[in-house]
Amino acid sequence: MNTKRLQSFASQYAIYIVLVVLIIGITASNPAFLSINSLRDVLIQSSTRTIIALGVAFILITAGTDLSAGRIVGLTAVIAASMLQKAEYAAQFFPDIPQMPYIIPIAIAILAGLFCGLVNGFVVAKLNVPPFIATLGTMVAVYGINSLYVDMEPNNSQPIAGLRDDFKNIGTGAIGEGKFSLPYIVLIAIFVAFIVWVIFNKTKLGKNMYAIGGNIQAAKVSGINVAKYLIYIYAIAGSLYGLAGVLEAARTGGATNNYGNMYELDAIAACVVGGVSTTGGIGTVPGVVVGVLIFTIINYGLTFIGISPYWQLIIKGIIIVAAVAFDMRKYATKK
Amino acid sequence: MKKRMKKITPVLLAGALLGSVVAGCSNSADGGKEPQIGVAIYKFDDTFMTGVRNSIKTNAEGKANVEIVDSQNSQPTQNDKVDLFITKKTNALLINPVDRTAAGVIIDKAKTADIPVVFLNREPLPDDMKKWDKVYYVGAKAEESGTMSGELIADYWKAHPEADKNKDGVLQYVMLKGEPGHQDAELRTKFSIEAIEAAGIKVEKVAEDTAMWDRVKGQEKMAAFLGANGDKIEAVLANNDDMALGAIEALKAAGYFKGDKFMPVVGVDATAPAIEALQDGTLLGTVLNDANNQGKASVVLATLLAKGEKPTKDNVGFEISDNQYVWIKYKKITKDNIDEAK
Repeated sequence: MNTKRLQSFASQYAIYIVLVVLIIGITASNPAFLSINSLRDVLIQSSTRTIIALGVAFILITAGTDLSAGRIVGLTAVIAASMLQKAEYAAQFFPDIPQMPYIIPIAIAILAGLFCGLVNGFVVAKLNVPPFIATLGTMVAVYGINSLYVDMEPNNSQPIAGLRDDFKNIGTGAIGEGKFSLPYIVLIAIFVAFIVWVIFNKTKLGKNMYAIGGNIQAAKVSGINVAKYLIYIYAIAGSLYGLAGVLEAARTGGATNNYGNMYELDAIAACVVGGVSTTGGIGTVPGVVVGVLIFTIINYGLTFIGISPYWQLIIKGIIIVAAVAFDMRKYATKK
Repeated sequence: MKKRMKKITPVLLAGALLGSVVAGCSNSADGGKEPQIGVAIYKFDDTFMTGVRNSIKTNAEGKANVEIVDSQNSQPTQNDKVDLFITKKTNALLINPVDRTAAGVIIDKAKTADIPVVFLNREPLPDDMKKWDKVYYVGAKAEESGTMSGELIADYWKAHPEADKNKDGVLQYVMLKGEPGHQDAELRTKFSIEAIEAAGIKVEKVAEDTAMWDRVKGQEKMAAFLGANGDKIEAVLANNDDMALGAIEALKAAGYFKGDKFMPVVGVDATAPAIEALQDGTLLGTVLNDANNQGKASVVLATLLAKGEKPTKDNVGFEISDNQYVWIKYKKITKDNIDEAK
């Protein structure tokens, strides 16, 4: 009985246990890891990833998938960066446009992300193309669009840099100073996570999302306008990628058309490790956040203690598969 | 019907090939036309190769008709593109290989079709180069870029005694490497440190990791290095500018480049954002891989070969060593000679 209870406890909280074990292991190897600075670094590096993963979570929960997330992040990072260069920077992307309040380019970039999401949603919901294929198409095409954009005269595919300080401050600034300051980017991620939590749990859209992912036929029969909600969901996800792209540019102070490459796979991995079911209908915001934190801690912590990059990849791979295997057991025991 | 098509297809293809061979022959007899050069770049979104690509375009104007394609960082894709060029019977090939060991296959194909090849930026193996005398290579010696970035750090160290923060007489450094196994990454890593040691400075590696040539990863790895080692780090060497600039962002977040808190950071490539960082005083130095001259030399060479002329130092404008190699020199770039990189 006792072992059974332990087993069920272990499978219920598997990802949290993985997280704690990771932290203990890394700390044992280098105690300096347990510090406010490490925590800050991990939170900052998790911020954009969390926003992307939450976007992907919307789609996974509808039993879809989104391969275009990373490339949309790249496109919107480039769009934002191209319009937010310092006036005195030599290699201007748009030499002739005036300086504008940063909210305008940010809005344009987020709208571009939203538009890509709308296209995904339309193709999936109205043309009945499987999400894997629809978003594969978007992934490839968006990269093409982005590359064309970056290749325009006079930029000619150079990396876009020399970003304005007020814009960079969104990604690098903080409330307060020193150790206990609160980076804006982390606050933005927390705010987005809260909004997404509200959508998941308190709105009709959220309820319908779980219903569509749980059983699409039942959802249709019960009168849900599945196509409409799918388009909404893909559009929301797209705008989240847009926001993430903007923050990625602000955080790194630049952008190239290769930004965001493979981020979708990181996001999907974080979601499934965080308990989002790839077959749809299941997933929570705290789960996704923990999933992202686990991967950031692997990236950051293993570099921190100097583990070879090859081993980092192997450890990541094992954790992805192990987490899902554990998760499957959880539902198997319920049945 | 379908079955018949299958049988007919190879015949049609062969016919098309034959046709193009005939067309090609008549083409080369036509002296007034600009020669056709098929250019395959390993990846279009590589910053440095984009510089070379732009230089190829500019320098070809009015002299040759260049068709530039993207190999999408995949050797099989590049081989397909080369097949296409050969089928189209271009007069010369200008190839920037994805994988240097794949050059042998491309040389075989080109030799069979009698189309001269110039390889660019990634050096084929010497044995492959010996297969045919109409094969040339234009590029820089990767080890030279490593040596120069090491020298930049060594010069700084000697001129600034305060750079030895813990006063132990040893230079504690971190290394941000490019893609593991990439020839440039391995050589730059090795030769930069050798250059520092050759200048009589003792070194200690505090940390080393790959950031895959990438700015975002450079920033994240550097943040982890700083978290683990803090002020122990006395210099940052990066295999390229993108990673160096990422590291600078992480250093800024940790309070560097304000007041007198400084960290010498060096990169390679001299990209436009790196030049800006040199001006700002955040980047100590970079090494210019001369994209302009690589593009110029390769396209001039390919044009001569396409017209069937023998390349010499006079008509190419660059020294040809061992009959097949044009070496383009790197340049050290610091705040003092910034104009040379613009």
